[in-house]
Amino acid sequence: MSIHPGTAAKTSALDSRPGAPDPKARRRSPTRVNPALYLFPLPAVAITAFFLVMPTLQAFQYAVTDWNGFSAAFNYVGMDNFIRAFTKDSLFTNALTNNLKFVLLVVVAQTVFSLLLALLLTKNSRGSILLRALFFFPTILSSVSVAFIWKFIYDPNFGLANSVLGAVGLESLQGSYLGNNVQALYWVAMTQVWFHAGQMMVVFIAGLQAIPRELYEAAEMDGAGKWQQFKSITWPFVAPATSIVVAYTTVQSFKAFDLILGIAGNPPKASLDILSTRIYSTFANSEFGYAAAQSIIFMAMIALVTWLQRRLLRLTPKGE
Amino acid sequence: MSQISRRQALSVLGAIGFGATAAACAGPGGSTAPGGSAGAVAPSAGNITGKVSFAHWRGEDKVVFDELIKRFAALHQGVEVAQDISTSNDYNAQALQKLRGGSIGDAFATFRGSQFNNFTQAGIYTDLKDSKAASNYQPGLLAAGKSGSSQLGLPYQVVFPMPMANVDLFDKAGADTAPKDWRAFLAMCEKLAASGVIPISWPGGDVGNGGQLFNCMIANNAPVDDMCAQIEQGKLKCTDDWFLKMLGQYKDLVPYLQPNATGTAVEPAQNLFSQGKAAMLATGSYHIAAVRGLGAKFPIELVFPNTSTGGNAKYEGVYNATFILGVNAASKNQAAAAAWIDFLSEPENAAYYANQTAQHVSVDKVDYTNPDLKRLSPWLGKKTALAARFQFQNLDVRNAVEASATAVISGTSPEQAAEAAQKIVDERL
Repeated sequence: MSIHPGTAAKTSALDSRPGAPDPKARRRSPTRVNPALYLFPLPAVAITAFFLVMPTLQAFQYAVTDWNGFSAAFNYVGMDNFIRAFTKDSLFTNALTNNLKFVLLVVVAQTVFSLLLALLLTKNSRGSILLRALFFFPTILSSVSVAFIWKFIYDPNFGLANSVLGAVGLESLQGSYLGNNVQALYWVAMTQVWFHAGQMMVVFIAGLQAIPRELYEAAEMDGAGKWQQFKSITWPFVAPATSIVVAYTTVQSFKAFDLILGIAGNPPKASLDILSTRIYSTFANSEFGYAAAQSIIFMAMIALVTWLQRRLLRLTPKGE
Repeated sequence: MSQISRRQALSVLGAIGFGATAAACAGPGGSTAPGGSAGAVAPSAGNITGKVSFAHWRGEDKVVFDELIKRFAALHQGVEVAQDISTSNDYNAQALQKLRGGSIGDAFATFRGSQFNNFTQAGIYTDLKDSKAASNYQPGLLAAGKSGSSQLGLPYQVVFPMPMANVDLFDKAGADTAPKDWRAFLAMCEKLAASGVIPISWPGGDVGNGGQLFNCMIANNAPVDDMCAQIEQGKLKCTDDWFLKMLGQYKDLVPYLQPNATGTAVEPAQNLFSQGKAAMLATGSYHIAAVRGLGAKFPIELVFPNTSTGGNAKYEGVYNATFILGVNAASKNQAAAAAWIDFLSEPENAAYYANQTAQHVSVDKVDYTNPDLKRLSPWLGKKTALAARFQFQNLDVRNAVEASATAVISGTSPEQAAEAAQKIVDERL
């Protein structure tokens, strides 16, 4: 940062006034502090170092070994684990494909659905508040509970979905749901959207309520229709909220580990295997080195997708 | 108090960071537990006091173990046993890491196969060869807990991973519970279907339980007894004729399974059976207590899907010796843990466990009073094969091979399903 010469001169003139603090002391104060103050962040630094930095660094080290998780002996294998993941492991590439598909489905459906709910429930009427609470409710449930609820809904023999379809004479639409390898991921994606849409709705409502009413009134006076108002006022104003929703949903969908394991069992079948469950299976299979390499790829994948989204969608105005 | 500069503070933090980095790079591995793969000898005497952690996965047996713990504590003043229970899948995945330190699982159980082998390699077991407990077991059932000349674990349970049958429904349909070959088995299913019930309830949506049927289907089809180990080693292939024949037989079963079987979890499958809607539950005898708990009142028998042709079956059924009890080599409470294993292995305590949980045990001279166990006891003397799926050391390979059967049931051709499975096996050779 540069300081304007005029400003510097003004400052030195002020400092030369009688009774002004010693300029040397003023210069020292930002850089020299009581050492006791450095003890305050130390617990946080230590916890971060011990539980985050060290395991992350260790993961990088394990990733280049063939360590099985319990033996004293291991070999350094260089980049072999990374090469194996992309070229010689169809289970990993299958999980990667499933995960990208799952992220795309959930991000699009959850963003659209939660925005729609938010638009319908922006007003602070009693009915809206009640419905907001209702839609938000799944968010406070544990993912294991959600998995069990939906496992019951999707059960082809006693489940709610097939029972309802049977009761209204739509037996032809009854299905195997999670047992159908082509559809299974879509059904789990629907569960994920049900689980988190209420939470994202709240983010959108906060954004929508911050839009000045006068803008809509002015637009109405100018003859703008509902769609034009949405396009020209609502959307630009909720863009920052959308950016948060998209980024959060992306990370959440990559890490839908507990939901998948709860709904599909451990290990999940190939059609429901995503990166986090694959990594867990690899750890369980006593391939710690390879699992660490998969974890690093997973981390890089989340970072890459989130960065790409921000670049491509350009939802956050510059400087914010 | 003297003051330090920002630069000095950053230097200190940098040093901490460098230390953390160095510590992180100390190298994986460390040391194995003190047992070694041969196993240190378990103590035969010592102070039987303190708190023993007993790690296992049988949540359904908690109450029975609680009662046994009470009896054990009454015999040894000052000893406590706390159960550390995980679900079977979590136990399979995490137990090794949890137990290595020795603070959890002074006494523990493992599954037969890869988990037992991993525990052995990690040196977690002590050798129980000369223990009082080992002498109480039927020698022929101890093999699953052996490593070389060491008896590292004591397989406590004998289970039959074969379909359970509702005898009332079989009688009503006029079906025989002991089909001599595959044609007879299909004829039996046909009779059951004709009587208006679902012949087989199969939890195809649950990898662990759905895979038990694989033990039966492969037993008489494979050319060798260590077929799964040989598949994993690449000596046998899923695309071999015998494997394709087995997948073809899975296809034969499709009309006799409940609709949408590949999406059925284990609980609904149990419900179909316990409510009398299905004549068989294709999991195993380890589910007897669960279906009784769901209200099943009918007599239960076991049925072996005999895949042989022309009545030349090598095996009449399958069994598994599992829940392999061991004493943790890293435990600080080994004497008490060994005493607990001794206690469980005494015939009267093993009998209590067996009769309350409806599980046969490997302990000798056990008096079975549970009606289900009494009825199924003849299976202990039949020519049964040791469940093959536990030969797999690599869980990805096991899941892929078993998934080929599920794929066939959901409509994939046996050839395609076999090729898909073999691809995964080949990637792991």
